Amino acid sequence: MRISPAKLLIVIALCLVVLVEARTILAFFDVEVSVLEIALVGVVAITALVVWAVRPADEETSEP
Amino acid sequence: MTDLFVDEYPEQARLVRAAFLTSFVALGIGALFGVIQALHRTGVFRIVESTTYYTVLTGHGVFLVITFTIFFLVGLYQWAVTDSLQRGPVDARLTWSWYGLMSVGTLIAAIAILAGFLDDPPDVLGSELSADVLFTFYAPLQANPIFYAGLVLFVVGTWLAGADWFRTWWAWKRDHPGERIPLPTFMVLTTMIMWYISSIGVAVAILAFILPWSLGLIDSLNPTLTRTLFWYFGHPVVYFWLLPAYLLWYIVLPKLSGGRLFSDPLARVVFILFVLLSTPVGIHHQYLDPGISEGFKFIAMTNTMFLLLPSLLTAFTVVASMEHGARQRGGTGTLNWLRALPWKDPAFTGMALAGLVFAFGGFTGIVNAGMNINYLVHNSLWVPGHIHTQVGTAVALTFMAGSYWLVPQLTGNRLVGRQIALFQVVLWFVGIVFMTNSMYRAGLIGVPRRSAEPQYAFDYEVGVGSMTELDVQLALGGVLLFVSTVLFLAIILLTAFNTDSDPLVDGTIPPALSGPEDSPRVLDDLRVWIGIALVLVVIAYAIPLASIVDRGGLFGPDVGPFPVVVDGVMYLQHGVAYVGVLIT
Repeated sequence: MRISPAKLLIVIALCLVVLVEARTILAFFDVEVSVLEIALVGVVAITALVVWAVRPADEETSEP
Repeated sequence: MTDLFVDEYPEQARLVRAAFLTSFVALGIGALFGVIQALHRTGVFRIVESTTYYTVLTGHGVFLVITFTIFFLVGLYQWAVTDSLQRGPVDARLTWSWYGLMSVGTLIAAIAILAGFLDDPPDVLGSELSADVLFTFYAPLQANPIFYAGLVLFVVGTWLAGADWFRTWWAWKRDHPGERIPLPTFMVLTTMIMWYISSIGVAVAILAFILPWSLGLIDSLNPTLTRTLFWYFGHPVVYFWLLPAYLLWYIVLPKLSGGRLFSDPLARVVFILFVLLSTPVGIHHQYLDPGISEGFKFIAMTNTMFLLLPSLLTAFTVVASMEHGARQRGGTGTLNWLRALPWKDPAFTGMALAGLVFAFGGFTGIVNAGMNINYLVHNSLWVPGHIHTQVGTAVALTFMAGSYWLVPQLTGNRLVGRQIALFQVVLWFVGIVFMTNSMYRAGLIGVPRRSAEPQYAFDYEVGVGSMTELDVQLALGGVLLFVSTVLFLAIILLTAFNTDSDPLVDGTIPPALSGPEDSPRVLDDLRVWIGIALVLVVIAYAIPLASIVDRGGLFGPDVGPFPVVVDGVMYLQHGVAYVGVLIT
């Protein structure tokens, strides 16, 4: 893993904060995002994060 | 690895465990009442009548912000004094007396509150047994006298606890002449000075006015006077909840980070600033109250803004200590050191996330404190949003995280489910973000707080999304917080019974990078700070109180008890229906 499970958990939690607050902030700039859209973005972002995190780090892959 | 606290001070460990047990029982009941409210007012799921909602609301407030927080405080402070002075109390009977008095007071107040669930509550001391008066129990809402009697016993218990800690310190001082007060004890003593100065307000309000009024000994009272006396105490009590969390952030968090406290003198300055500034600010809760001049409200606002200073000093000192710890653990770079922190430790992560939420909540507190923008959010759901980020997370999450470090030292048992504990603190963080985001946003559009039925006969103009979405978000956050509480209680319970184990915890607190020798000794002269604090209180309150009494009299312009809320809700419903008919 590239980061420990504990760090992954915390990064996911921080992602959720960004997702929850993002709609309000984007609305300040007249960018209206629906709940479904933000949920979809969240699923994609968190999935990408998990995939990145569980892949072996470079030094791990280069080991014989 | 040093001896555990329970091995060195078994009697003190027993008392701290008892205080924590009471605290955690209150947490469980308060959390249950919290999720009931979250689901009720959003219309997601209702298991009580709307009239009973106010019993639940009162219980939620009192059990969490009085019982949970303050019993945890006395337990933590007993540990802090004993551990830092390396001695027990002068007389253990006094120690158990204040714990007993606080427990009896809690029990009596709880009986009065919980009687609200009865269909036909009995009469006690001449009136119906009920206390649907919310945590802010000022007139004209009136509870049964035993509710106030319970609160008085509880507060007297805390005063005796403070006297006990001062007595222990004086005994220590005789044996250690010329030595600086150890920082944890300094924090305990300054907190208690602030508490003595501030809680006198609520004591006078209850003993001189509200209790005699509820007993029928006096016919009426002056609501502005009792409200002002309540808020004289009502804001500093916030710091009474918060300062134990500060103690954990200053004393334990740097150690958990792998380092040492950045500056002992800065920590002392912060606690002194709270002694000076906590009390002369209460009128900022009364910006919309008639009968207090705008000038004095402005003074209260100015004092409140000064209170940002100790919080900003704390942010700097604690983060600097964490960075020091991270660099000791091999962390490098401008921000990359954050990765070196012990994120898998639930005690560390819980406190760090609590601090993060506290910083955000502090900014929303500036909105509350500003005379002009307070009008926008006053009595709206914004205010519970603020409270839940501050006491509901900065304090509660820090206490839970601190328990993961402290309970093994108090029991001699290994913490059960360390990974689940990590999940629990992160779940709390996510839950509070969902819930308070909804509360803040709803508050900005005028959704009221303290209402079982916030759905009036008009549609709120939600800036982003919909009211349904805000309701679902609030309910979801409330459920996550409740699940997190259940997990916490289960972990602590299992740890308490995990007797066949050795704890993996080191209770030693390393000295600060900059110790007390780097600060002037006047910081430890508590008499100086008490004197200045009293002068500030007189400046802030003497003329407003004199003006209130001069205009309305000590016992007021004939104000009787309002029939609490049942009729109020009924009148409101009739009023809304009537207006609706007129419009259509």
